[in-house]
Amino acid sequence: MSAVNVNINVHHVTRVEGHGDIVVDIKNGEIKTCRFEVVEAPRFFEAFVRGRPYYELSHITSRICGICSVGHATTSLRATENALGVEISEQTELLRRLNFYGEIIDSHVLHTYYLVAPDFLGVGSVIPLAESHPDIVMRALQIKKLSGDLCAMIGGRHTHPVAMAVGGFTHLPTESEVREMKGRFEAARADMDATVDLFASLPWPEFERETEYISLTRDDMYAFIDGTIKTSDGFSYPIEEYRQVTNEWCVPFSTAKWTKHNRDAYMVGALARFNNNFDQLHPRAKEAAAKLGMKPPVINPFLNSAAQVVEMVHCIEDGIQIMDELLTRGIQPEEPPAVRLNGGGEGVGSCDVPRGILFHNYVYDEQGICIQANCVIPTNQNYANLNADMRALVPQIMDKPQEEIRLLLEMLVRAYDPCISCSTHFLNVTFV
Amino acid sequence: MSHSFETLNVGTLVLGLGHPWRGDDGVGPRLVAELAARPLPPGVALRDGGTGGLDLLHTLEGWERVIVVDAADMGQEPGTFVRFTPQEARLIPKFTEGSVSIHNAGLSDVLTLAGALGCSLPEIVIFGVQPAYVGWREGLSPAVEAILPRLIAAVLEEVKGENHAQNSGD
Repeated sequence: MSAVNVNINVHHVTRVEGHGDIVVDIKNGEIKTCRFEVVEAPRFFEAFVRGRPYYELSHITSRICGICSVGHATTSLRATENALGVEISEQTELLRRLNFYGEIIDSHVLHTYYLVAPDFLGVGSVIPLAESHPDIVMRALQIKKLSGDLCAMIGGRHTHPVAMAVGGFTHLPTESEVREMKGRFEAARADMDATVDLFASLPWPEFERETEYISLTRDDMYAFIDGTIKTSDGFSYPIEEYRQVTNEWCVPFSTAKWTKHNRDAYMVGALARFNNNFDQLHPRAKEAAAKLGMKPPVINPFLNSAAQVVEMVHCIEDGIQIMDELLTRGIQPEEPPAVRLNGGGEGVGSCDVPRGILFHNYVYDEQGICIQANCVIPTNQNYANLNADMRALVPQIMDKPQEEIRLLLEMLVRAYDPCISCSTHFLNVTFV
Repeated sequence: MSHSFETLNVGTLVLGLGHPWRGDDGVGPRLVAELAARPLPPGVALRDGGTGGLDLLHTLEGWERVIVVDAADMGQEPGTFVRFTPQEARLIPKFTEGSVSIHNAGLSDVLTLAGALGCSLPEIVIFGVQPAYVGWREGLSPAVEAILPRLIAAVLEEVKGENHAQNSGD
């Protein structure tokens, strides 16, 4: 009988958004309990959009998250546009994608620099990191400001965009603003190089567990907005059939729902996109991946954060190309088209937001009032996989000192970049 | 055309911090809303900073002077407000090793971060308001509501550079 006894109870993991606990109980070498519990209060967004008119939904659901509000707003608008048959212009598509990149960069820099890097650099948070490595924190702040300013230029403000509407934008950036922003993006390449060098130098924990990776995919680009659902197990679905993928279910120790597809668990997020759509990354992003030692398929979940670094490089480069295209075409003074309700209808929108694939599904009545809504959030879709990783990791590390086990498990949770508050949106949990 | 982002700010920013659904924590945004309905001298901007987190550092950047209005636990009677500078007070950062989330970082954390980074900040004046109640409730408590007119007057005087009082005198 092994003499290993471990009892870890991290009541609220720090440096993640929201409230979740790690519980591990090992007695005489036998794992009794090993799981990540979500204790955040539910949010009820799906209930309170019912009865609201179609033009309010993106503004309400954007509040699901202060970090990925552009992602929720974009997904919400696509669901409404698909439900009501609203076509969008190429200019709107370009501006939405550019805005989306701003948020991807903003969220990824927050996660990699503020939440992940302190673990590797031996400090407890970003404040002591600022004392020990001011250059690193200054760079993070600079990249965050750039991405925030981009979102403000297009969406009207940094977070919770006001200018995004069904069918288009109520406000457009000027060409001189876009030109200035493009210059700032070009100047940010040096910060990106330094970011890649920094994260390539970190001692990532060695742990591998193969799983099913699920993301959007498109023929024409590295997918963030629209496309079809792709799984690394070889399945493909139109976004309207998302329920075939998510198969939500409840577990007694979590206020968030779990999901499963071909296996007991799957992973979404930067690493899933990287694995499924690597070929479509910008060449500079592929160079970054090579520096980080990443070649798909990457099955170390800790490297989700490194995949985020690769995506930041991609978004800077593709963002520059979009701004070039906007300047070549000239920004046209378009207004969102008039919406014809056509008796209402049902629509699904899907985007691959910073933490993974997101679905919004609405039903509207003939007056354009929402009568049913369903939102499936990426963090939910990762819980089963995170727990499977924990169960695979713990036996490999259970001989280490308890504090080391605790840190590794916390780092694993953080690698998923969970947004726990976003994921708890439904109370219908059965306690058994 | 105006935008909510500035790369080159000049003059004075009045920055209200807090959340209007958290009882007296909403005094900062309320003050900003009250001032928005009044004539202000040129070169003065208003901003509801909400619960801005570490990005508040960028909000502070570039101004000559920032006047912050925020709920503050100063061990005073509820409704008392005190004018002070960061140098005159010891602000306790929330975002320390044991805290849960980075997204609820406040002014004290931002000033701590700026200090650690050696950032040069504008002249900062803080109007701290002692809350009676901070929790899930919309609107201010009677004690804080009652001092609003005097708080507005004090901030307006500060904006005009005429305020030399150290506190509300209560």
